[in-house]
Parts: sequence; structure tokens; C-alpha cells
Amino acid sequence: MSRGVPSAGPPRPPLLRVSGIVKSFPDLVALDDVSLDVHAGEIVAVVGHNGSGKSTLVKILSGAYTADAGTVELEPGTGLHIIHQDLALIGELSAAENLMLVTAGGAGSFAPVHTRDERDRARELAERFGEAFDIDAPVRDLTPAQRAIVAISRALDGWTGTSNVLVLDESTESLHRTEVDVLFEAVRRLAADGAGVVFVSHRLDEVLGLADRVVVLRDGRKVADEPAAGIDHGRLVELITGSAAAAQRERMSATVADAEPVLEVRGLRGGTVEHLDLALRPGEIVGVAGVLGSGREAVPALLYGAVPSTADRFEVAGRAYARPAPAESLRRGVAFVPGDRARLGAVRELVARENVTLPQLRTLTGWLGGISRRRERAEVAGLMRDHDVRPQRPEQGFGLFSGGNQQKIVMARSLRDGPGILLLDEPTQGVDIGAKVAIYDRIEDAAAEGAAVLVSSSDAKELLRLCHRVVVMRHGRAAATLAGSDLTEPRLVAEGYGLDAPDSPNRSGKPSGPAAPSHELEEQP
Amino acid sequence: MSTTRDDVLRALSFRNISAIYIFVVMFVIFSLWIPQKFLQVGVWRSLLDAEALTGLAALAALIPLIAGSLNLAIGAQVGFAAIVSAWLLGKAGLPILVQLPAVVLSGALIGLVTGLVITRLRVEPIIATLGISSILLAGMAWVSGSQQILGLGDEYKLIATTQFGGVTIPVYVLLAVALLSWYVLERTPVGRRAYAAGYNPEAARLAGVHVERLRIWTLVAGGAIAALAGALLTSRINAGDPTVGPSFLLPALTAVFLGSTQFRGGRFNVWGTIVAMYVLAVGIKGLQLAGSPRWVNDLFYGVALVLAVALSQWEVTSRRASAIGRLVDRVLPRKR
Repeated sequence: MSRGVPSAGPPRPPLLRVSGIVKSFPDLVALDDVSLDVHAGEIVAVVGHNGSGKSTLVKILSGAYTADAGTVELEPGTGLHIIHQDLALIGELSAAENLMLVTAGGAGSFAPVHTRDERDRARELAERFGEAFDIDAPVRDLTPAQRAIVAISRALDGWTGTSNVLVLDESTESLHRTEVDVLFEAVRRLAADGAGVVFVSHRLDEVLGLADRVVVLRDGRKVADEPAAGIDHGRLVELITGSAAAAQRERMSATVADAEPVLEVRGLRGGTVEHLDLALRPGEIVGVAGVLGSGREAVPALLYGAVPSTADRFEVAGRAYARPAPAESLRRGVAFVPGDRARLGAVRELVARENVTLPQLRTLTGWLGGISRRRERAEVAGLMRDHDVRPQRPEQGFGLFSGGNQQKIVMARSLRDGPGILLLDEPTQGVDIGAKVAIYDRIEDAAAEGAAVLVSSSDAKELLRLCHRVVVMRHGRAAATLAGSDLTEPRLVAEGYGLDAPDSPNRSGKPSGPAAPSHELEEQP
Repeated sequence: MSTTRDDVLRALSFRNISAIYIFVVMFVIFSLWIPQKFLQVGVWRSLLDAEALTGLAALAALIPLIAGSLNLAIGAQVGFAAIVSAWLLGKAGLPILVQLPAVVLSGALIGLVTGLVITRLRVEPIIATLGISSILLAGMAWVSGSQQILGLGDEYKLIATTQFGGVTIPVYVLLAVALLSWYVLERTPVGRRAYAAGYNPEAARLAGVHVERLRIWTLVAGGAIAALAGALLTSRINAGDPTVGPSFLLPALTAVFLGSTQFRGGRFNVWGTIVAMYVLAVGIKGLQLAGSPRWVNDLFYGVALVLAVALSQWEVTSRRASAIGRLVDRVLPRKR
């Protein structure tokens, strides 16, 4: 095991030393002899597929699981703080009140609350991260990055000793690029102050930008523990997947023949969308890009009828579609994959089989209107095989699958009836790289078979990889449509923010509008 | 690990069939305590007959609950139907062939109104049904003048007391309603969608389920079944009694929640409900035969309801069934 201590001087013992952890479950070995050192001032990234053992490792660190073998040692006087993906904040309370939840404990529970002191303290904590926001606003009104900062501040508030280790578990999952930068700045400050940071993430580019050292887990084993400087994106993908990264498919350059649009909308309004004209043709993959709040995230839900909308004209397959609603959309061959998989993607309490067949059960009914269990099982088993869902257990509860496999199940469901129109919202958010590739393949297959596909995504690389053309949204309207040689990452970002050229960095905490980190542009190759 | 062994283990685990274990324990205790009273065929037969109505009330609560509506008006619905059926028969003088469908229809109508209050007026089911319950209680008092309605004739009484093969008609009615409910809930698209709507209405809606329509229909079905129970209740006691109906609420809900912990790993289900209902009834009967005062009923159901819900929240964190595991190992050796 390498002992990459970033700072010079006599080697100091690590703040956190994880050695030889083994953890097995009835059906699998989740962690097999995994070791990890974290030194003061160091940011260590832990990456890997869903199911590689990342979350098990975090659960062992947090004490939720007990390891079968191996030890977790902390340097005496070191505090270990874990921030989980859901942040454990109370949305209705303000930042100051959330911070107070931890400190107001024990004997003083009924002591009067000193609001002013508390707020001063909250402001002080928040300011350490160079991020100004309203500490009196309910936390749910803050941006995701600001919420993450509140959660980190709360952990910090409990810091007593001089040395600390902070574990961030998939904390950037829900963040937009610009917000990730805000959070990273906060994390760097902590490391600079001497904390050790363990950063668990799916998002590879982020990891390389932030970490000093990268630890890669695959199938429960540690396959790499190297300085981040020596690893590039391709190599990281290789380490994670265990094979050379599949060469990126040549993007279909041929424009789709001028077929009749299968979906056409004029003057679509609803949610954050103020006005949108759009036409989707069979075989075409159209992207929707834009910053959070631009209307990008609302487009698929509006077209599907998940959210109320109005339009001057809306036609699906040549027929007017006055009031879109999910059941009617399905009947017209429109399928939708929501972005919020945990809440909207499927019914966690039902098993995979029941979720896959829920939208269309009539094809399975027989005598007395009953569902033929045999036919249903056979069909779902086949779909799970085709979509490479693991484990391939139709009778497993949906909530028990990993994120990537949940999304494969949702995709399998949406593609089951060969929809004419496929609407996708963040189809690979929070999904590991292996599942991502599988989902891209499915999307491309669907298009090749004649479906018109719409992909709304905050991931520029995803849109570049998949789409024939991309509509960039800004302030609820289409700001540009990029295709062919115009379809590049810099153009996507520039159109999204309404920038022609990089200008001075201007990061206010306000989520609204295009006051934007132009350094994103500078980072582009 | 062999799947058969796993399946048998899971099937026999306390978590899966706790009601059966509870039944065995109670049976042993009462058999040793009061053998001469408890171990009588007549006792068991009357238990089967009397509790069939509780079973119907439990199914009436179960169906809407699967689709997400906790119905606190079940007792009042049974009671109201009991009074209405006595009034239609005794005061309005309708023939049974008209009176019975009318009662069931009125129950369905109450379900419809409840459903509309929940979906159209957007009142939480608990609050909506609490309100409906109070309104129905008022209606019962008004129609009956808070008196028993008597003089229903001899024919009507036969419905609930005629025996076939040693058990009365209500037991067969319960069996028929349970079979039908089971088939619809577990084997048809409607049932599948009802479960989805109950667990996650928003995700179900996006999967094309008409959540509100389903909720209304489950309440209509529940209302009709509750009314059937009410009509049979009046037949059984041969009078319209305004005080009996409301006492069905607690046993019915307790059976539904305890039933959800049986057989289907936490899902509300028909057979779990029926088994749980009878197991609870055996407990009550045993306590009554042992000479306990009437208030023990309320105590028993209150404790059972809380325990049943606590049990349904109980997560298996480790292999707790190891004792049974060893036993099963002897019967079904592991394939290695």
C-alpha cells in the first residue's frame, strides 16, 4: 500500500487507518481485505461501481456495519465525521436551527435558545466556506450546494479535537457542476486547515479535480491507491470497470432524414418553461441542456403530462393532444423516465417484476382478467437479462437494487412496449459508469428502432455522446439549438450561461439565473 | 444455499407467520387453564359464526387501505348499515330482496362520498373518515331515535342463522368475499395498481395508474362490504341496534395491521387479515371464558393493535430464525 503523504517533513501517522477490512453478506463478499490511510490535509477519493463496496465501507466507518475482520483506527484525539448523501437536514428549519440541533442537547435541552448567539455562530460557520447565504431561510430553499455546506458546518460545529477526518458520501450526487465547485472549495479549505477528507463519489471528473489520492474499489477489492495527478479519465474508467474503456461510439453524424415529426409542440408552458417549440422525429435523439432553473429539467415531465402544462399546439403522432396526462401518454406510446428515481422512478416496496409490468398489464391478463404469473415472470426475466440487471432476481424488492440497477429496471420498463417517444430526465444521474454505458446503448438502440428520444441532462458529456442535436434552455426558453460541428462542450456551456467569452469569476450563492462561474469555460480542454 | 431450504425457513419464520405462533401459544394456555370451557365444539363454532362479521368489516377496511386510505369510519359504516337495514325492513316495510341490495348500495354510496371528500376536497383520509364516522353516528341516532329497532319478522333472522354443514351463512359470505377480494387484489391489474397507488401515489401516477379513481373505487367496494356486514349484523341479533356497529372498528383495524405482517412480508393482504382476525378472536374468547370483565376486550385490542403495527415495522437485521434453521436443516439438508 502506498503511503502518499502530500506534505514533506517527517512522516506522521495517518489520522485514519483502515486495515484489512473484510465484510461479507450471505450472498456476496462486499469488502475483501481493504485498507486505506488518510493523513492530515489530504483529500482521498474512493471511487467504484455501484456494488463495488463503497457504501459498505462508509457504513463500516460510520458504525452501521461491523466488519468481519480488520480494524478501523483513529489517531488519538481525532474526530470522525460522516456526511451522508441525504445530508440529514430538516428542510423546514433554517440553517441556524439545523446547526443548533446538534449543540442543543443533553442537560441544556430545555434551556432557552439564544437566537442571536446562535445566528452569529451559524453565520460564522457558513462564512468559513466563503459562501454567503441567508441563514434564516428554510434549508429546503437553499441550493443543494448550500445545503451540503450547512451539513458540513454542522459536522464542524461538533469538532472538538484538533484533528478531524470528514467522510463525504456521494455528497455531490444531486449537485450541478457550478455547485460542485462551491462544495469543493469548502472541502479544500478544510483540508488546508489540516483535516483529512474521504470523498466517495461516482463522478470521475470531479474526483480527479479534487483529490490528492484516488482509491479505486472493484468487486470489494482495492485495485488502485495512487496519487490523483498520475491518473487521467481514461485510466480511471479502466480501473473501475476492469477493462479498457469501450471506445466511445462514433456519434451518428448523419442527420435524421426529414421524416414527419412524431411529436410537435408550439408554445409549451409550465413550471420553469416559459415558451418552447419542439419537434421530435423518429430515430432522433434530441438533448435538452441548460443550468438548473433554466427549464431544462421540466421539459420531459411537461411533455409526458407529469406536471400540468399548456401549449398553443401539441401533436403526438399527428393527432392533437390537448391535456397530457401520464396514463394517456402511455396509451399514445410516450414513455417517461423521471430524474428523481428514488421518489418517482418506481415503487420501492414492490418487487422488480411488479414495477416492470405496472404501466401495461393488459397484455398479461388471461382467464377472468387475472394476470398470468407464468407469462409475467418469463417476460420480466427476459427483460432483466436483456438490460443486464444484477442480481437478475425479478422477485427482489425494487429498493434493494443498487442505483444503477434500479435505473436499468426503470429503463427496461419504459422500453418494454417499444415506445414511439421516449422522454428521459437525467437518465444516468447517480449511476455508475458500467450501468451508464449500458443505458446509453439501450437509448441508442431505441432510437435505431425508430423511437424519438428526448434527453434532458446536466451532464454535457452525456449529451455530446448521445444526441444528434441539443436544445439549450435559458430563462425558460430555447436559447440555441446546437448540432453538427457546433455541438461541443464549450458551446453548450457558453449557451447555457449566455456567455460569449469568459469574464471575471462571479460566484454569488444565488441559484437564480446565469450569474455564473465562467471558470467552467476555462477548464475546458 | 439451497432455495428450497431458504423458502421453507422464510415461510416458517416467526416474522412471516407470527399469528400462527401466537395462536398456538394461546391455545395451549387456555387449554390448560380452562379445558372444560375452552375445548368445546360449540365454542369454536360460535366463534366462527360471530366473528365472520368482524372479518367482513376487516376486509372493508383492508381494501381502501391497500390503495392508501386508512378508514376510521368502518365501525360507523357497519353500524349505520345495520340501522338502515332494520329501518327499511321494520319501518319502511320493504321486502328483503329489495332491502338487502338497497343497504349494500347505500354503503357503496357512503364509500363514494368518502372517496370524493378525500380526492376532490383533498382531505387526508384519516381526517375525512373521522368526520364521516361522526356524521354516520349522528345519522344512526337520528334514524333509530337511539332505540333498538325491533319487529323485523322471522324471515330476516334466518339469513344469519341458517346453517349449512354446521356453520352459518355469514361464514360462507365471508369466504366468498375474501376469495373475490383476494383474486382481485393479488391476481388482477386493478389489484396491482391499488398496491402501487398505496405505496407511492406519485410514482404510480407516472406509471399510468389513475390513483384518485382507484382510491374512490376501493372506498366504494369497502363501503359495500361494510354495509353487507351491517345487514348481517341486524339479521344476527334480529334488531337494529345503534350501539353495536362502532365496536367493529378496533378489531377490524387490528386484524388488518396484524394481517399485514403475515405471509406477504409486510404487505396488507386478505388471508393474513382473516387469520389475524380469528387469532385475535380466539384470544378474546379465551379471556371471556376465563371470566375476565368486558373491559378486557378493549385492553386486548388496544395492546394488540399497537403491537401489530410495531411488529410490521420490525426489520430483520440478522438471521433470527436460527433455531428454526437448525430444525429445518435436519429435514432439508443443505446442498453444498
